[in-house]
Amino acid sequence: MTATLTHTPAELALIDALDGATGWQAQLREATRRDGLPTRRHELWKWSDLRRAANDVTAPGRMTVTGLETPVTDGAHIELGVTASTGASAADASLVIPAGASVTLVERYSAEAAALGNWHLAITLEENARLDRIIIAPDEAAGVFISSAEITLAQGAHLHQRSLDFGGRLSRIETHVTHPGEGALVDLGGVYLLDSDRHADTTTVVHHTGPGGVTQQLVKGAAAAKGHGVFQGKFIVDRAAQQTDARMTHRAMMLDDRAEIDAKPELEIYADDVQCAHGNALGALDETALFYMRQRGIPAPRARALLIESFLAEPLDAIADETLREDLKAQLRTRLEALS
Amino acid sequence: MLNIENLHCQVETQDGEEKPILKGLSLDVPAGEVHAIMGPNGSGKSTLSYVLTGRDGYEVTGGSMTFEGEDLSELEPEERAALGLYLSFQYPVEIPGVPTITFLKEALNAQRTARGEDEVSAPEFMKLIREKAKQLGVSMDMLKRPVNVGFSGGEKKRMEILQALVLEPKFMILDETDSGLDIDALKTVSDGVNALRAPERGMLVITHYQRLLDHITPDVVHIMANGKIVKSGGPELAKELEAEGYDKYLGEAA
Ligand SMILES: Nc1ncnc2c1ncn2[C@@H]1O[C@H](COP(=O)(O)OP(=O)(O)O)[C@@H](O)[C@H]1O
Ligand SMILES: [Mg+2]
Repeated sequence: MTATLTHTPAELALIDALDGATGWQAQLREATRRDGLPTRRHELWKWSDLRRAANDVTAPGRMTVTGLETPVTDGAHIELGVTASTGASAADASLVIPAGASVTLVERYSAEAAALGNWHLAITLEENARLDRIIIAPDEAAGVFISSAEITLAQGAHLHQRSLDFGGRLSRIETHVTHPGEGALVDLGGVYLLDSDRHADTTTVVHHTGPGGVTQQLVKGAAAAKGHGVFQGKFIVDRAAQQTDARMTHRAMMLDDRAEIDAKPELEIYADDVQCAHGNALGALDETALFYMRQRGIPAPRARALLIESFLAEPLDAIADETLREDLKAQLRTRLEALS
Repeated sequence: MLNIENLHCQVETQDGEEKPILKGLSLDVPAGEVHAIMGPNGSGKSTLSYVLTGRDGYEVTGGSMTFEGEDLSELEPEERAALGLYLSFQYPVEIPGVPTITFLKEALNAQRTARGEDEVSAPEFMKLIREKAKQLGVSMDMLKRPVNVGFSGGEKKRMEILQALVLEPKFMILDETDSGLDIDALKTVSDGVNALRAPERGMLVITHYQRLLDHITPDVVHIMANGKIVKSGGPELAKELEAEGYDKYLGEAA
């Protein structure tokens, strides 16, 4: 590596903002100092050029996190609000879901204009714990927001994650899961809906380390003209993880020829007795269905919204908490009606 | 009511070529009358139903089509629907994820809003749809399923007529509604259509076979070949076609 990396203003601002940081934030600071922000040249960022997206960031900012005081006990409903102000900022937290406990965690993100927010969560699920993790990333001010999570499950633990991302200047929801098999279950779902000039990136890695694990993943997305959706999904199955049953599906709709959707589903399998599959399909709105609906009197924008909603809603339908499920579906509907 | 004058229409084929299909078609259907159009496969019957209802890719290149004096060619499909134009599709479309009930309520209220009428409340709508479903032998269970998804050919046709009973259009185009129906279903569907016959309502019944016209007696029968009406007459014309086939008209139209 050359020692002559010239930092961008955003990189300098982030390094500055994390002066004296410890733990994950110190690692982020060091990585930024050493390598800069990731660009298209990094395999894991090839469709999400962070350095470029952050080129309007010039000063340190603040990340505010609310809701962390809620005790993590059985039946807890934790609402975290994570807001990145203008400028470069980071925050992190860790949670332990106690053995046998069932916990709902809702994360609501927002990033102001010219923000570069970095949020990291380390979560451990103890034996037979259940976590329902819901992520909502709205796009009002269109800043850059990067969420990353490291989730480790113990035997018998269940993780159900659902994300709803309307994109931002760049929005990335990155999830790394360590799956021990042995009765543990990982269920990852996501929806993205992108208006013009919005970018959303769903990146997940599920690492199966023990036998008999079950993983299911369904990500659905839609992008309007000049919207850019990215899906990177990876299942790693160690040699010890025999009888893993892991299925990944990404399906997306291009609402315009000028939409861009990039997908890379990957399986990396070292065990020989497994059932693993991935599917990826890109399509367009069904023009025949659209005409049928209009022939019945439903105006084109409403018909389009109904068709997109019925396509996208599937991952959200599986949210266990009815209030949350309806909340997310209502947000999706509102956003669809405003789609350009 | 529906007036079509020397209509020419072309479609864009998959390789981007313009293909003329309707070649000077004229037709008048006054309010209160049921007209049948019979013609061989490929004569342009479905094309006529699509150009009347405004499907993308069906371009009017000459002539005119008006409905109650309004030029249809300038209107969006949903505007034509709100005027009261209804097409029972030859191939009804499946819409996964949208329950039939939701779809029909949306459609009815969208049309009412466009006409400046009040929306129908949820209880009123449920009462209406229960009554019409019963009339057509459609279960409420079926209405909760996504539009046409997993329905048999016959069930789809039944649903098309149920939708017409709920929407009460002023003018109905039935495109081969009889295909895929067994005798019992044909009877039920025809009864549904006959229930909609009214002095203020017109109908265009497109069919390939005489058998639908045994149940829905038309006032006028038109024979279509190669994009034109080549002969018109009374109900007896359909019987004559059944006996003699289309061959002699194909020569005339070419
Ligand atoms: N979208 C289209 N692209 C190319 N050809 C078409 C298209 N629609 C109709 N046609 C052609 O136009 C002719 C008339 O078709 P259609 O209206 O479906 O006839 P009918 O309903 O009388 O059987 C046929 O030759 C058909 O292949
Ligand atoms: Mg046809």
